[in-house]
Amino acid sequence: MLSYKQNPDPSGLHSRRCMNRKKDKGFEICINNINFQRKSVIGYVELTIFPTVMNLNRIKLNSKQCRIYRVRVNDLEAPFIYNDPTLEVCHHESKQRNLNYFSSAYTAAVSAVDPDAGNGELSIKVPSELWKQGDEMKVMKVYIEFSLDQPKGGLHFVVPDVDGSMAERAAHVFSFGNQNSTRFWFPCVDSYSELCTWKLEFTVDASMVAVSCGDLVETVYTHDMRKKTFHYMLPIPTAAPNISLAVGPFEILVDPYMHEVTHFCLPQLLPLLKQTMSYLHEIFEFYEEILTCRYPYSCFKTVFVDEAYVQVSSYASMSIFSTNLLHSGMIIDQTPVTRRCLAQALAQQFFGCFISRMSWSDEWVLKGISGYIYGLYLKKTFGVNEYRHWIKEELDKIVEYELKMGGVLLHPTFSGGKEKDNPTPHLHFSIRHPHTLSWEYYKMFQCKAHLVMRLIENRISMEFMLQVFNKLLSLASTASSQKYQSHMWSQMLVSTSGFLKSISNVSGKDIGPLIKQWVDQSGVVKFFGSFAFNRKRNVLELEIRQDYTSSGTQKYVGPIKVTVQELDGSFNHTLQIEENSLKHDIPCHSKSRRNKKKKIPLMNGEEVDMDLSAMDADSPLLWIRIDPDMSILRKVEFEQADFMWQYQLRFERDVVAQEEAISALEIFPTPASRLALTDILEQDQCFYKVRIQACFCLAKIANSMMSTWTGPPAMKSLFTRMFCCKSCPNIVKTNNFINFQSYFLQKTMPVAMALLRDVQNLCPKEVLNFILDLIKYNDNRKNKFSDNYYRAELIDALTNSLTPAISINNEVRTVDNLNTDVRLILEEITRFLNMEKLLPSYRNTITVSCLRAIRMLQKNGHIPSDPSLFKSYAQYGHFVDVRIAALEAVIDYTRVDRSSSELQWLLDLVQNDPVHYIRHEILSMLAKNPPFTKAADSLLCNEALVDQLWKLMNSGTCHDWRLRCDAVNLYYTLFGLTRPSCLPLPELGLVLNLKEKKAVLNPTIKSEQGPGGPEVTTTMCTVIFFDFCQFPTQEEEDIDMDTVHDSQAFIYHHLNMLERPSTPGKEPSSVEQAMLSMPGTPMPTLSKESTSSKHGDHHHHHHHHEHKKKKKKHKHKHKHKHKHESKDKDRDSHAFSNSPASGRSIRSPSLSD
Amino acid sequence: MADSVVMGSGSFNSGSRSGSSKTSTSPTENYQLARRRTLQVVVSSLLTECGFESAEKVAVETLTEMMQSYITEVGRCAKATCEHTARSTPTLSDVVVTLVEMGFNVDTLPVYAKRSQRMVITAPPVTNAPVVPKALMAGQKRTHPSYIPGHFPEFPDPHTYIKTPTFREPVSDYQVVREKAASQRRDVERALTRFMAKTGETQSLFKDDISAFPLISAKPSAIPYLSALLPSELELQSLEETDSSEQDDQTDTENNPSHIIQDDQSADKENVVLPPGGVVPTGKANEENMIDNPYLRPVKKPKVRRKK
Repeated sequence: MLSYKQNPDPSGLHSRRCMNRKKDKGFEICINNINFQRKSVIGYVELTIFPTVMNLNRIKLNSKQCRIYRVRVNDLEAPFIYNDPTLEVCHHESKQRNLNYFSSAYTAAVSAVDPDAGNGELSIKVPSELWKQGDEMKVMKVYIEFSLDQPKGGLHFVVPDVDGSMAERAAHVFSFGNQNSTRFWFPCVDSYSELCTWKLEFTVDASMVAVSCGDLVETVYTHDMRKKTFHYMLPIPTAAPNISLAVGPFEILVDPYMHEVTHFCLPQLLPLLKQTMSYLHEIFEFYEEILTCRYPYSCFKTVFVDEAYVQVSSYASMSIFSTNLLHSGMIIDQTPVTRRCLAQALAQQFFGCFISRMSWSDEWVLKGISGYIYGLYLKKTFGVNEYRHWIKEELDKIVEYELKMGGVLLHPTFSGGKEKDNPTPHLHFSIRHPHTLSWEYYKMFQCKAHLVMRLIENRISMEFMLQVFNKLLSLASTASSQKYQSHMWSQMLVSTSGFLKSISNVSGKDIGPLIKQWVDQSGVVKFFGSFAFNRKRNVLELEIRQDYTSSGTQKYVGPIKVTVQELDGSFNHTLQIEENSLKHDIPCHSKSRRNKKKKIPLMNGEEVDMDLSAMDADSPLLWIRIDPDMSILRKVEFEQADFMWQYQLRFERDVVAQEEAISALEIFPTPASRLALTDILEQDQCFYKVRIQACFCLAKIANSMMSTWTGPPAMKSLFTRMFCCKSCPNIVKTNNFINFQSYFLQKTMPVAMALLRDVQNLCPKEVLNFILDLIKYNDNRKNKFSDNYYRAELIDALTNSLTPAISINNEVRTVDNLNTDVRLILEEITRFLNMEKLLPSYRNTITVSCLRAIRMLQKNGHIPSDPSLFKSYAQYGHFVDVRIAALEAVIDYTRVDRSSSELQWLLDLVQNDPVHYIRHEILSMLAKNPPFTKAADSLLCNEALVDQLWKLMNSGTCHDWRLRCDAVNLYYTLFGLTRPSCLPLPELGLVLNLKEKKAVLNPTIKSEQGPGGPEVTTTMCTVIFFDFCQFPTQEEEDIDMDTVHDSQAFIYHHLNMLERPSTPGKEPSSVEQAMLSMPGTPMPTLSKESTSSKHGDHHHHHHHHEHKKKKKKHKHKHKHKHKHESKDKDRDSHAFSNSPASGRSIRSPSLSD
Repeated sequence: MADSVVMGSGSFNSGSRSGSSKTSTSPTENYQLARRRTLQVVVSSLLTECGFESAEKVAVETLTEMMQSYITEVGRCAKATCEHTARSTPTLSDVVVTLVEMGFNVDTLPVYAKRSQRMVITAPPVTNAPVVPKALMAGQKRTHPSYIPGHFPEFPDPHTYIKTPTFREPVSDYQVVREKAASQRRDVERALTRFMAKTGETQSLFKDDISAFPLISAKPSAIPYLSALLPSELELQSLEETDSSEQDDQTDTENNPSHIIQDDQSADKENVVLPPGGVVPTGKANEENMIDNPYLRPVKKPKVRRKK
C-alpha cells in the first residue's frame, strides 16, 4: 500500500477547525465479497494519515449507510461515533412545513458532514496511546472494516430475475452518485480536494470482472479457485469521489486502435460495443492534440451498465455509461448522441478527474473547461454550423432558465460562512453545497460555465486558452509524479484564482471585468433593439435598451458588436454600451440603391445577386445583427422589418442568424415570408437544422395565413418533389437514408405538416391522408439503416394532427362514436404498438411514440381517459424510454384528472422503484407538469400530501442527493417557500414581535386571558430557555460540540425539540405547562388570527438568535429576505382565510435588523 | 368400466356419422330414420321384456343411442379385424373376436337368443337405400398401362397428380407493385397482430368494447435492454441482403491505412506513459495476437503461502 502524504491545506476552508485536521494519505480499499443474491458487500479500508496538526485526537471521515464493524488506528481498537444529520434533516416530530426552514436545516446538515470543512459522519477517537505519537506528527494507519447491505445509494445492483447463475443473468453492480457520493459505499474523505494514492482490491466470482480505477496489476484466483481477486493500483493522486467500481460478467473489448483502452459491456452486446467504440480513438487524438498533452492515466476503461444513474459519469481512468448508448451501425440518430457522450466523458477525464478542484466554488472552472473542449470537439467533428447551433441552443437555454428562475452564479463566495450573505436569495435551495443544488440548476450551471469559457476565449484567443489548459495539465502531471511530501499535489487542484492567474500570465490580458460580470455575478443581459434610418445624414440610429430589473438579469456595460449588412457590403461596428446612452449613430457606407445591377458582397466575401425589390427604396440597409458572435450572455429582441428578416434568412450565411430570422418571421405571416422559408427548405446547401426549423415556422405561418393560403398544404408539394416517386407522386420512394440531411428533413416535414389547421381548426384531410399514405407505403427493405426513428416520427405526426373532439354533453367515449379519421389513426397506432411486441424497434422508439399518441387521443377526448395502460408500461421491466413515456402520460393524467390515487401511485414509485433514474425523472416531470401549483387551489393539496412529500425530502431520500433535491423542487413547485396553505393553523399561540423585542400572545388569545397575558409570556421565554440550556443531559451525548456545523445541527435539533408539545418525560415547570396548553384552546376566529399568528417560528427563532449571541459563532441564514417581503405583501392581499402563519416568521423582515 | 368406454366411443362415432348424414339428401335421411325407429322398437321391447311398463322418452332415446353405438362399434371392429387378415368381408369369426374384445361373453349369446319370452320385431319398412353422390370428375382418367392388372384401382383424376401450369403476366406497373406490397404487408401485419391479440392477453382503450382495438398487453421482461438495443434478426437479414459487399469494401478501404497508423501511435503511447517498472509493450503491436492488455492476461494461481 502506498503512503504518501499531503500537504498544506489547499482550500483554506480547513483552517477553521484545526482540531480535527487530518491529512490523508494513501488509501487502500479491499472488497472481499460481493453477494448479488443478498446485494451485500463486505470489505475494509485502510488509510494512512499524516497529521498536520499537533494533538490529533479525533479523525472525521465520511461514511453513509455502511455498517462499521471495527475501527483500528495503528492496530489499536479505536472507539467511534456515527452521526449523520442528513438522514433526517428536520426532526420528525417537527410540525414545521415550510421550505425555507427545510432548506436552511438541510444546508446546515450537509455542512455538518462536509469534508472540506473537516467534518464527517464518522468520528473516530484516536486511542490515547497514540496521542503522543500524534504530537510528533507520525503516520497513522486507520483500518476500518465495514459492510453494506442492500445499499440504497452509492452502489447499484442490477440482478435480473431469470434463471441461471449470476453471470448468466447478467447481474452486475456499479457505483454511482451525484458529486461526492463515494461515502455511500466505503468510508473515506469524500472530498474533491483531498488527494491520495490508491490500492484497490476486489474479490469477485470467477465469472465476473471487476473494473475500477487505475492499472489492473494482476488477477489472482482465490484458494478455492471459485473467485478472483482484481488488484488495482492508482499511483496518480486522486480524490475519493473520483473512485468507482463496476462488477459484472462483462464482455471485454480491447480497443483495436489503442490497446491500453478497454471497453466493457453486458453479455450479448459485444457487436454493438464494437460499433459504438469504433471512433473513440478519434476523440482521444483530438484532445491530446489540442491540449498538447497525453492522456494523463496509463489506461482507460469504459463500462456500459444497465439502469445507469446518469448517461455519463467520469471517474479516474474510467467512465461508466448507460448501456442504452450502445447502438448498431444501422442506427442514425443515436450515433451522434453517443459520440457526444463519449467526448464529454473523455473531456472530464482531463478536467474533473485528473485535475480536481480546490473547493465547490471552483467547480465552474472544471465544468467550464471540460465543456469548452468538448465544444471544440463538436466543432471539429460535426462542423462549425453544428457548433454554432449548439452554442446558440445552450445560450437560449441558460437565458431562459435564468430569466425564469433567477440567476445562476458560477463562483459563489461565502464570506465567513455567514448565512446572511446568501448570494442567491432568489433560489429555494442553497448553492453552498453540490448536494443542496437542484439538478436543473446544476445542468444550467454547467451550461453557463462552458459558455463563459468561450467568452474568455473570445477575449484572449483560443491559442492562449489552450496554452492555459496545457499549463494546468503539465503542472498537474509533474505534481502527480511527486511524492506526497513534496507538497506539490495541490497543483492538481484547480482554483478560480489559480486559473485566472494562469490566464493573465499566459495572455497578459486582464479579464477581470469579464469574470466579475459573468462569474462572480449571476444573471444574463436582456437587450431590446430597434433602429431608424436617417436618410439625410445617411446614418443608422440604433437604440439598444436593457432590462436589468427583472429577475435573472444584470446590467451590461461594455463593448457590443453590431453587424450591418448594407448594399455595398457587410460592416462590423463596435459600440460601447454605457450607463445612459441608449442611442448609437452608425454611419452607413452605401448610398441607397445606386448600382442596381451590382452583386452584393456578404460578410464571408461571397458576392450574390439579390432581388432588391422588397426593400425600402430609401435605405441601403439589408439587415442588422446585434452581438452576432454571441459574446455576451444575452437575449436580444430586435425589431426590424419583415423583408430584412427575409433577406437575413436567405443571404446571411451564419446559421445562428438564419435561425434568429426564422423565429422572427413567425410574426410576419406573408407570402414573402412563405417564399423565403420554402426557398430555404429546398436549398440542400443550407444547414439541415435550419431547414428543420423552417418547417415548423412554415406551418405556423400557414396557419396564420389560412384564409389567403393558395395551393396545396404547405410543404406537401415540396415533400412530394423531394421524397416521392416521379411516376406516382402519391407514393413515397423506398427508404434510402444514405444522405443524413435529407433523412432528417424527411423525418421532420410530416411532423410539421401535421400541425397545419384548416378553417375549422382541424388538420386538413389532405394532410392526414398524406401521412397515412406515408405510413402505408413505407418500405425499408432496401435500406441499410433502420427506419425506427422515421416511423416513430410518423406516429408523432399523427399525434400532431389531433385536435380536440367535439363533445356533446360530456358523453362517454365509445367505439361507436369514434370519429372516422381518429379511427384510422387509432388503427395505425394499434398495429404499430402490437408489431412492436413482435419486432421491437431500437430503443423502442415506436412504443414511446404510440404511448404519447394514445395519451393525446385521451386528452383530446377521442377515447376515454384512463391511466391503466400507461401504468402497465411504466412497470419495472420495460425499457427505460418506454417507462419514462408512460410515466409522463400518467403524470399528465394526474394533472388533468386531478387524480389523487395516481399521484399516490407515482409517489410510491418514487420511493420504491429499483431504478434511480426513474425516481428522479418522476419527480422532475412532476415538477415540470405539476398536478397543481401554489397559485391555484386543488383538492389534491391536502395535509397528508404535504406530510408525505415532507417526509420524502426530509428522510425518505437520504440515500440520493439528487433525489432529495428533486423532492425539494417538487415541494417548492406545489407549495412554494412558505407553509403550505392547506395545513391547519399551527397550534402555539405565542408571537414574538421582534421589532419591539418582546413576545406577546396572539391577541385573540390574549383577549381571553385578560390582563395576565404579557407577564406569562415573558416567563415562558425564560422557561424554555432554561430547558434549552440543559442540553447535553439526555439524548445528545454524541453530538460533538467541537465543530461549528455539529453545533448547528445541535441547535436545529433543539429547535425541533422545542416544537414538540411539552414532553411528558421532562420535568415541566408549571408555567411551561400552562403556556403550552394554552394553544390547545380553540382559536376563536380565523380572520383575526391571520393578522397576528406568527408564533411558533418567531419564538424558536428568537432562541436560536440568543443562543447564537452566546456562542458568537453562528449566524442564521437569511436568504430570501428581500424577496420574501414582497411575497408577504402579495399574500396578504389574497388567500388569507386559512393562511399559515409560521412560514413567514422565520424570514421575518424585522429579524434582519 | 369397459362397457362405458365402448359406449362412449360408440356414441361419438354415431354422433359424427349423424352429423355427416345431415348434409345428405332427404331419401338418405328417411332411410336412416327408419332404421333408427326400428332400433327404438327393439330397445322398447327389450325394456318391456325386463319388466318396465313405461319409459321416458329421453331414457329410451339414450338407450337407443347406446345400442346404436354398440352395434356400430361391433361392425367397425369386425371390419377392422377382417381387413387385418386381408379379407374384405367380415365373417362370423370376426364378429366373435370383436365381441370378445369388447368384453362380451359370447357363450351366453345362444342361450339368450333362444330365450322363451323374446319378442319378434318386424323388419324395418323398406325404403330406398341412399344414393351415393358421384365424386366430381375432372379430365380424363388415365387407363392402366399394360403391365398393371385390371383389378388394380383406377387412376385418380388427373388434376390431383398432374401439374397444371397457370400463368399470368406479372404486374410491372410500379404503382401497382408498391400498392400491392404495401397492402400485403399491412394485411400480414394486421392478421398477425390480431392473432397474437386473440391468443394472448390484451389491453383495451375502450371500456365498452374490449375487442375494438386490442393491444397486446405489455409484459415486462427481465432484461429489457436486450430486445431494445439489439437489432432484430429480420433487420440483420435485410441488412445482409442489401449490398453488404459494397459496405464492407468501403469500411475496409477506409480503415486499413488509419489502422496501421493508429497502432504505431498507440505503441508509442504505451512506451511513454507506462512507468519503467510497468509492462513493457511488446514491440509494434501490429499483430493482433500480441495485444497486451491486463484484462486479457491469464488469471494467476493463488500463491502457495496463502494457504493456512
